[in-house]
Amino acid sequence: MRIPILKLNQYLLITIQVDLDDKTALQFQEDLLEKIHETGAKGVVIDLTSVDMIDSFIAKVLGDVVRMSNLMGAKVVLTGIQPAVAITLIDLGIMMKNVPTALDLEQGLEKLQQELGG
Amino acid sequence: MDKLVIQLLNESRERIYTRWMDEMERVRDEHRLQSITDAAYEETNKELFEIIYTHIEQNVHKPTDRMTQFAEHLMKIGWRLSYITQGLQTFRRIILAVLLDANQSNDKVYSMYDEIDRWIDPIVNQLINESAKNWENTVSIQKVALQELSAPLIPVFENISVMPLIGTIDTERAKLIMENLLTGVIKHRSQVVLIDITGVPVVDTMVAHHIIQAAEAVRLVGAQCILVGIRPEIAQTIVNLGIDLGQFPTKSTLFKGMKTALEMTKRKMIEIE
Amino acid sequence: MNIQSCVEVRNEWDIVKARQSGRNIAKELGFGTVDQARITTAISELARNIYLYAGNGAVAIERVENGGKFGLKIEASDSGPGIKDIRKVMEDGFTTSGGLGAGLPGVKRLMDEFTIDSKENEGTVITSIKWLR
Repeated sequence: MRIPILKLNQYLLITIQVDLDDKTALQFQEDLLEKIHETGAKGVVIDLTSVDMIDSFIAKVLGDVVRMSNLMGAKVVLTGIQPAVAITLIDLGIMMKNVPTALDLEQGLEKLQQELGG
Repeated sequence: MDKLVIQLLNESRERIYTRWMDEMERVRDEHRLQSITDAAYEETNKELFEIIYTHIEQNVHKPTDRMTQFAEHLMKIGWRLSYITQGLQTFRRIILAVLLDANQSNDKVYSMYDEIDRWIDPIVNQLINESAKNWENTVSIQKVALQELSAPLIPVFENISVMPLIGTIDTERAKLIMENLLTGVIKHRSQVVLIDITGVPVVDTMVAHHIIQAAEAVRLVGAQCILVGIRPEIAQTIVNLGIDLGQFPTKSTLFKGMKTALEMTKRKMIEIE
Repeated sequence: MNIQSCVEVRNEWDIVKARQSGRNIAKELGFGTVDQARITTAISELARNIYLYAGNGAVAIERVENGGKFGLKIEASDSGPGIKDIRKVMEDGFTTSGGLGAGLPGVKRLMDEFTIDSKENEGTVITSIKWLR
């Protein structure tokens, strides 16, 4: 299974709508970095509105993706993390520090635009 | 109950009554009944004695309706259950003494003793059970009531909400606060949430920990927290306990926090001519 | 009503299977969305541990009752190498796999009750319960 990555101007948009298993998560990490390299995208929004569970493994993959993308010069914003998921992450002790977040896709794009200066 | 016992009790009713009343007067302070008038105390004692005696006459091994009602009434006006249980226990002590005085054979005394125990214990037990059940009810109702006024998230401006916290924060309440906070943030599409702790009496490590966690969770769903209402003594405890609140902005008053929140959402308050 | 399920864990897909059946049971028992997420995540962590460290094992999920209280019990068992130092694995941030080290202490925080029973070279059984509020 592969997660589709859409390109919009200089941004990449990803909406995760499946129950992430480990392989899919790692495949996604690889695909995204490849796509950043290919397109020279400056910003990435990963929308997690439909994700109803993030365990420590997926949290690690997401955190890694953010750091790796930053190394390649692309800013990443995670959007739409559900309250139940946020509470679970806090219980697990995973704060996802230094990972920018926004309420939804729209605000995520706005945040990128602000930080990248339009 | 043994006929002989009943007979004996009826014959010595006056003697038992006087001794019982004396004993009850002596333990009055224990039940915090000093504020009751002497006449009222005597009247109630008399009624309780009557009721206990009716139990013997009717030979029942559980509280009669009259006993239950009497107990309920006393509890309602603030007497303690221990008054009644003590009344029953004192009664047992006295009639045993009376039986011994009557010079029965040892076997007889033992079987009477046993009988009286079997008679009084169920009554005491059931009264205690009922009152405990009442308490449990009251406590659970109050718990629900407390939760209802626990932690509302109030949308103030577009994208700005306030959560005023009042009272002590324990783990269970902290969970509720977190859930209300996050679902409210999504519902009102808040970008900034002001958490006002003016009404929280004590901020110790535990409470601070809960607040920090709530703020972290708010950040994960994509909004920002500002902690406001930090009184001087709370600032002192926070620093003395070595708690790091550096992750998110803090302000002394709700007003200052609101100004910051408006700035964060690119707005400001101005005075009009 | 006798709700239960048992998922054998041999590959990564079984992790997803275990947590999906956990979510369904949690939903059926009447847990709220937050507790559903907690339970699902706990199952995911436990199933992953089996996959990573033991290779194969099973996650059993069932309804439990205690004094009128209902709850959901997760039992994760394997016949792997066992845990050498239980105190160590319950420390936040301790990891042998390069993960976040949030697994077991995290599960303990997500659930209400948590016990580990482990023997070296024999295996590990982790039991954890979440009570309905």
